[in-house]
Amino acid sequence: MKDSKYVWLIGLLITILIIVVPIFSVVTAEPDNSGDPWASLPERAPHVDHTDLMPGPYETGQDVTRACLECHENAAHEMTQTVHWTWESKPVKLPGRDELVTIGKKNQINNFCIGIQGNWTGCTRCHAGYGWDSADFDFSMEENVDCLVCHEQSGLYVKANSGLPAEGVDLAVAAQSVSTPTRLNCGGCHFNGGGGNAVKHGDLDSSMFYPSEDIDVHMGRYDFQCVDCHKTENHQIGGHSISVSINGEHEISCMDCHENDLHTDDRINAHIDTIACQTCHIPEGAVRDATKMQWDWSQAGQDIPEDPHEYLKIKGRFVYERGFMPEYYWFNGEADRYILGDKIDPTAVTSLNTPQGDITDPNAKIWPFKVHRAIQIYDAGYNYLLQPKTVGEGGYWTEFDWQLAAELGAEASGMAYSGEYGWAQTEMYWALTHMVAPKENALQCSDCHSDDGRMDWEALGYYGDPLRWGNRSQTIGMTNN
Amino acid sequence: MFTKSKHSKLKFVQFILLIGAVLIALSLVANRVVWAQEGGEEAQPETEPAPRTPSLHPGIPLLDEDGNHVLDSGKPVSTIKTCNNCHDAEFIASHSFHSDVGLSELTAPGLTGNGRAWDTSAGLFGKWNPITYRYLSPEVDKHTDLTTADWVKLLGVRHVGGGPAQYSRSGQELTLMPPAADNIEASSIDANGNLVAWDWAESGIIEMNCFLCHLPEPNNEARKEAIHAGNFGWANTATLLGTGIVNQEGDEFIWNAEAFDENGELFPEFVGIQDPTNENCGQCHGLVHVDPQTPMVLSGCTPEQWSTITTGQIMSPQKIAESGINIENKADIRRSWDIHTERVVKCTDCHYSLNNPVYYQELTESRPEHLQFDPRRIDLGEYLYRPLHEFAKGASAQGALAPSLDNTLRTCADCHEAETTHDWLPYADRHMVALACESCHIPEMYAPARQMYDWTVVQTSGEPQVACRGVEGGGETFATALVTGYEPVLLPRPNEDGAAPLSPHNLVTSWYWVYGDPERPVPARDLQAAWLDGDVYHDDVLEAFDANKNGVIEPEELIIDSERKEVLIAGKLEGLGLENPRIAGEIQPYNINHNVTHGEWATKDCQTCHSEDSRVTRPIILADAIPGGVMPTFVGNGTTELNGDVVKTKDGALYYEPRAGADNLYVIGHNKVSWIDWAGVLIFLGTIGGVFTHGGLRYWSARKNPPQEHEMKTVYMYTVYERLWHWLQTAVILLLTFTGLIIHKPDMFGAFSFSYVVQVHNVLAAILVANAALAFFYNIASGEIKQYLPEPRGFFNQMAQQAMFYLRGIFKGEEHPFEKTPEHKLNPLQQVTYLGLLNVLLPLQIITGALIWGAQRWPNIAAQVGGLPFLAPFHTLIAWLFASFIVMHVYLTTTGPTPMANIQAMMMGWEDVETHPVAGD
Repeated sequence: MKDSKYVWLIGLLITILIIVVPIFSVVTAEPDNSGDPWASLPERAPHVDHTDLMPGPYETGQDVTRACLECHENAAHEMTQTVHWTWESKPVKLPGRDELVTIGKKNQINNFCIGIQGNWTGCTRCHAGYGWDSADFDFSMEENVDCLVCHEQSGLYVKANSGLPAEGVDLAVAAQSVSTPTRLNCGGCHFNGGGGNAVKHGDLDSSMFYPSEDIDVHMGRYDFQCVDCHKTENHQIGGHSISVSINGEHEISCMDCHENDLHTDDRINAHIDTIACQTCHIPEGAVRDATKMQWDWSQAGQDIPEDPHEYLKIKGRFVYERGFMPEYYWFNGEADRYILGDKIDPTAVTSLNTPQGDITDPNAKIWPFKVHRAIQIYDAGYNYLLQPKTVGEGGYWTEFDWQLAAELGAEASGMAYSGEYGWAQTEMYWALTHMVAPKENALQCSDCHSDDGRMDWEALGYYGDPLRWGNRSQTIGMTNN
Repeated sequence: MFTKSKHSKLKFVQFILLIGAVLIALSLVANRVVWAQEGGEEAQPETEPAPRTPSLHPGIPLLDEDGNHVLDSGKPVSTIKTCNNCHDAEFIASHSFHSDVGLSELTAPGLTGNGRAWDTSAGLFGKWNPITYRYLSPEVDKHTDLTTADWVKLLGVRHVGGGPAQYSRSGQELTLMPPAADNIEASSIDANGNLVAWDWAESGIIEMNCFLCHLPEPNNEARKEAIHAGNFGWANTATLLGTGIVNQEGDEFIWNAEAFDENGELFPEFVGIQDPTNENCGQCHGLVHVDPQTPMVLSGCTPEQWSTITTGQIMSPQKIAESGINIENKADIRRSWDIHTERVVKCTDCHYSLNNPVYYQELTESRPEHLQFDPRRIDLGEYLYRPLHEFAKGASAQGALAPSLDNTLRTCADCHEAETTHDWLPYADRHMVALACESCHIPEMYAPARQMYDWTVVQTSGEPQVACRGVEGGGETFATALVTGYEPVLLPRPNEDGAAPLSPHNLVTSWYWVYGDPERPVPARDLQAAWLDGDVYHDDVLEAFDANKNGVIEPEELIIDSERKEVLIAGKLEGLGLENPRIAGEIQPYNINHNVTHGEWATKDCQTCHSEDSRVTRPIILADAIPGGVMPTFVGNGTTELNGDVVKTKDGALYYEPRAGADNLYVIGHNKVSWIDWAGVLIFLGTIGGVFTHGGLRYWSARKNPPQEHEMKTVYMYTVYERLWHWLQTAVILLLTFTGLIIHKPDMFGAFSFSYVVQVHNVLAAILVANAALAFFYNIASGEIKQYLPEPRGFFNQMAQQAMFYLRGIFKGEEHPFEKTPEHKLNPLQQVTYLGLLNVLLPLQIITGALIWGAQRWPNIAAQVGGLPFLAPFHTLIAWLFASFIVMHVYLTTTGPTPMANIQAMMMGWEDVETHPVAGD
């Protein structure tokens, strides 16, 4: 006859439900479409302490590698499949070219120190291996893989010529310190590309070992490591730069973590198909340390006062710039590439890696670039760029003799040399993608859309400032008509 | 022979020149290739900023006043004659309040309706302003301050020309006016203060200066110099200095023949005519800083930057953190000075020419309702011939000129769809009626602005005492000052919809001497003479004001704060022939509509206003001291109301305190009707007190005489639905009371988000109403309603009986006078209480609540019953009564056979009740 003893409990639950459900369904928080970028970050288990696993002592770098391979059997083999080892891409197809070509530091040139062929001992200090000192280097010798350069954390490991450990390095200490690669490991080479701090990229330099947040918001404000974004599997590290990797593979995108339309302002979201995130969020390159913008090799060899940022006898004259305003070009992730032996027009500027894409390319966006402009040696008889020998015996840096350097370099790179050299202008494009500024410092409308704006709209293919003259689709539409 | 050698000599020279030219050209080319030799000097030729859009304006000949080419005559350029070839320049000049500045509206003194007895127009020509102080005298008398010529010399620098710089008050060309010392329009005051004749034919006049607004880089400094020098005829020509069209040699302007082609027309590169840029407008209106890269600095406080000194408005896309100004916490202020400028909206995009076919939009009032857009408009050619130079304007607090054009400006809502971006804002419509967009979107000014002018005293420089708000120290240029910025005061300002939403203002307060009847401001000349002998104070002045006797009048001593000082200065003024000199004071409101921000920088936190220390009523300081003890009066022009109180604090400072209630505004969480709160608290506490007394007595009496044993039985008192209804209502009412208290007193509950609590309160109210409605239906349908309806006969006796039980019987442990049965659950007192509660209090609370909630949906209905100022306090009062009822109700549930019996019954349904012999059986 009586209700259950617990009828009140049921009643209480129903009452709470009647109140709580409408409240939660009606009262809404502010919409947040920023997603959860943290969800995309790799989670890492703490690294195993190797102190007791790597007792040492080790005579050579190869000794360490052999010790590593006792447990990590596949590691060296995996490494040998990567470009960090081969310095050469798989065969790729370039626009306007029938044969496949491979591209990499191994066989192509840039407009900084130009090329490694003949100069191996100097250049391969940054090779993740041991002993690459000639064209005969055996890429199948897994024991020559340098595990330490990426994994050691002692900070006491230094590589010398041909990538061998420098004299006096305690390999056991280094081996015991191994862990997941940090900024110190990656930066050791990548922050010093081009032969010194900040020379090459314009968005990678030693200020990023321990950056403040206004240098790089990811690393500065949130203490990112390189490998947080450059996700790595089987030693294949994500990411690419169009200096050596021109087909857009392994691309890392902001959208790997961030939502495509995360801005609260629709007007800004409307830019996303046309403007790379980097364009607004990297308002300037080389935030702290000046980077090399121009390099005139033809001035080398003079006995005049030297300054590493202005003139060196062995290298010529430079222009360095800090906080430079990027140049802006359409870019679809791919690039053309100058291949050693390609004819040039010595009176014109030769681009070594032209970014691909234009206003009509739906995959292209406007990107910020550092453009490095150089005057470098070419064969005045055959009209192609030369790869001079600079390092070592007979190299320009010791002999200051271009004729000899050209001859030896041509020999090392397997090219014919006419006996006559000249100076040609070249340029190289470096898409800026690091040194992302905090959002407070991103570009504003008037930085581009005003009389003093930084975009050359007509050069980009617009009729004028798209704010007034119509956006990309309107411009293309008009062009097609 | 001779000729030949001369010839060959010439050829030789030509050859040398040719070689030289080739060498120069080669070196230039070579330089391009070997730039690296030059180091960084030529770095990055590619990234030079894109050039400005070239001017579309064709080459034109420059003509003088007679229509002759200036190259031929060497005379100053006449803008009207020059431009009249293609544009109707005379139409333009005669249809422009920028040119007229009040000339055509001149009245006798005191008729402008703004409260000043001496103003003669609403424009720069005729409206006195304590900031510039000088007064355009209506006619010549012994205290003439500014004649027409003096006005042009002094204030004409902020005037575009034409109007009073060209025509007399009767419309005559000033050049035709015979020089006469006794004519205010043909005279000037010389260095000794004597009126002398002014020869307009010699000085020339200033035509409306097209170049000033339409050249990319007009030479305003040269123009101002010419005007100050009285060289009016050349002022417009001086504007061209630096363009290469004309050069100055000594005092002479020489036209450059190289700038003109063989037809006498300017070469394209010399024609920079373009739409006015922000910089053009900024020459007179305020600080404009275009380049986002170069840090902006304040360049002193000159009246040319009018809106900047009066309000602190600065038009720049630059982020404040990146400016060069020493602003407090600058690094954290990552917003731009002005979001519109940041987003490339130009001054002329809103303040457009009213017949510009691109921008023109018929005003809502005159546009037929069925028409969104009227495509019939003048074509571009017609527009270019007669571009109306009346520009769209708002209705600013001080700019009373051209009232017929008030509110022709686009409003925020003309461009912005505010509804879509304010969906997070509870009561968005209500907020938008009560507040101008600027109130939240211009939360703070980050530059200093003028606060006070004290012209009752003068410094040795002849300048008044001036105070700025938003800055600490640093002197006139603010070079070393710490800029703290200030919060504008919110004043109601009528808009074109007839509402008067609160909108941000600066208040500039001034004190000055006036004399005579009708009163007039004391001329600066006389004021300085009263205080100074050259550039030192008179001895008796120094004696009176130098309190610390160090021989110098320090800034803090320079104030008339005693009758002695006032009498001294008044006496001196009287001695100069000024009758009855006395101190007057006024407060000028300056509205703030620029320096808008968005997103997180706009005011979003409810408690900014909905709290004790509400932004809405926050006072603003007017002055640190009150010269002569004179309370300033409000000078407006009907577009801003000062509805608060001007309050003097104990330390002598003067504040303006807004009064929110004065405008039918009731800011929930801030406004309170204190007697209602006090009454509510008293009723509530009284109830608690009564309950405790009664309970204590019961406890005491129960110990003294143990309750009588009654015959008991267990009955099924409450159905499941009744119980559910009861407890749901209990929970909702308790939560409503609690959330209501938070909304009423948000300061006491800082942990809660005001906006969420408001929404929760509304949802709870909806549940309450639904629950009550369902219960009403249940009671009607089941007939249970009659339980609530007292039987008419003997009801008062029964009530008395029940009351007597509570007052007496209950202490003696007597039986309840009425048996509680499922059919008669309520005793007579309960019946009457619930009758009141359910029929009066609950409906009233629901209705007032719904009207408050609906204040934005059906504002008229809410307004008809008194609006929020009535509804909200009433709702509060009933809430207090409800709270008191709950206390009483809970207590009375303990008066059953056992203290917990009733509560248990309401939970479980079953109740032990006393049995009574059935009466009458």
